[in-house]
Amino acid sequence: MNGSGPGGASEVDAALARYLSQLGRMGEQLKQTSKQIEDSVVGVCNSFQGIASRAQATVTRASGFLGDGGQSTPDKQSFEGLIEACSGTLVKILNTTIEAGDVSRRAIERIEEMDKASQQISEALRQLDQITNSNRMLAFNARIEAAHAGTAGMGFAVVAVELAAATVKSRSVTAHVGELALNLRSLAHSTLQDLRNMNEKDSERVGQCRQEVDESLRDLQTAHSEMAAMLNGMTAEGALLATDIGSAVRGLQFQDRTSQRIAHVVSDLDTLCARLKMHAVDVAPGAAPADEGFSAYTMQEEREVAGLGEAEASAGDVELF
Amino acid sequence: MKKVLIVDDSVSMRQMVSFTLREGGFEVIEAEHGQDALDKLQGASVDLVITDLNMPVMDGITLIQNLRNQPAMKTKPILMLTTEGLAGKKEQGKAAGATGWIVKPFDPEKLLQTVAKVLP
Repeated sequence: MNGSGPGGASEVDAALARYLSQLGRMGEQLKQTSKQIEDSVVGVCNSFQGIASRAQATVTRASGFLGDGGQSTPDKQSFEGLIEACSGTLVKILNTTIEAGDVSRRAIERIEEMDKASQQISEALRQLDQITNSNRMLAFNARIEAAHAGTAGMGFAVVAVELAAATVKSRSVTAHVGELALNLRSLAHSTLQDLRNMNEKDSERVGQCRQEVDESLRDLQTAHSEMAAMLNGMTAEGALLATDIGSAVRGLQFQDRTSQRIAHVVSDLDTLCARLKMHAVDVAPGAAPADEGFSAYTMQEEREVAGLGEAEASAGDVELF
Repeated sequence: MKKVLIVDDSVSMRQMVSFTLREGGFEVIEAEHGQDALDKLQGASVDLVITDLNMPVMDGITLIQNLRNQPAMKTKPILMLTTEGLAGKKEQGKAAGATGWIVKPFDPEKLLQTVAKVLP
């Protein structure tokens, strides 16, 4: 290529220099494009990683809060644990109220027994009063008999007088005890009435409380079930998200293939430039064949494009030896 | 947690394989070529190696040959993950001591299934 004249060596050299410069720029542009695509795919991958991690963290937090549906001892901080704790406390309160009702019922029974005892005391006092009356009559008759006996009956008359005085005292004491017994019965009756009223109201309140507690627990259980269903939905969505990300990851691998192809093209461009610089592409005697020194085409698709053979394995194929 | 070494000169491919394996519950170490992998395995042990074929500095076949000469890596599974699908290349991989061959682009779920199959 050392000829001269029109269209001679100097013009060819100048054109060649321009083409070489352009080829060099094209190679650089391809490399930059390849790097930019790779950077953007790495960015997308990082985003996927973030999305997947956040989705996983959300489901884990929600699961922790809700508990595992009774499959193990619920965490005290979980919703399930709170329901169980709340339920336990409410049952304790109910049981305490029921126990209080039992205590007041037992108090009523004891006061009723005390009332019976005071009735028996009144009956005993009535009998004692009869005996006192008999003694009084006896003392009265003794005094008459002593008067009839005259002097001989004087000692007997003293005894009769003392007996009459004792019966008066005895009557006074029994009357006092009778009053006390009456007061006691009156107090017992009013206390009984109060206790019965309270017990009746307590029974009503316990019934209402039990109903309200049952309703509240049912509401809590319903809320828990709804939240658990929502969590299941989130888990299912998470699985779909994982599948979508999997598909996207597979799709994004185009970049790796594109980068490899660009690298092969750039390599071939470099070889071509080197050959052109040597002015030895076609003319030098003993020069290498035109395609020698170019890339080995390591990708199946490139071989297919170049007509160098059929595909022997498809994308995604797995073979274990 | 099982540990996997991923060897690939492509940052994005390493990222995608790492992401897939981490989501599958594996611990991952990354290397950008065969020599980098050998350096990272100094004093460390892994349960599985997944390597690309064509890489600068040291390619996948040479890496496998080196690893199979190490007592700790003699029986550990090594998978090749590459765009290459030629039978001849596969034979080279098999002869070097590869456990299996996966052609890119890989399917994440299928990759995890394959990993589960080859891990003891």
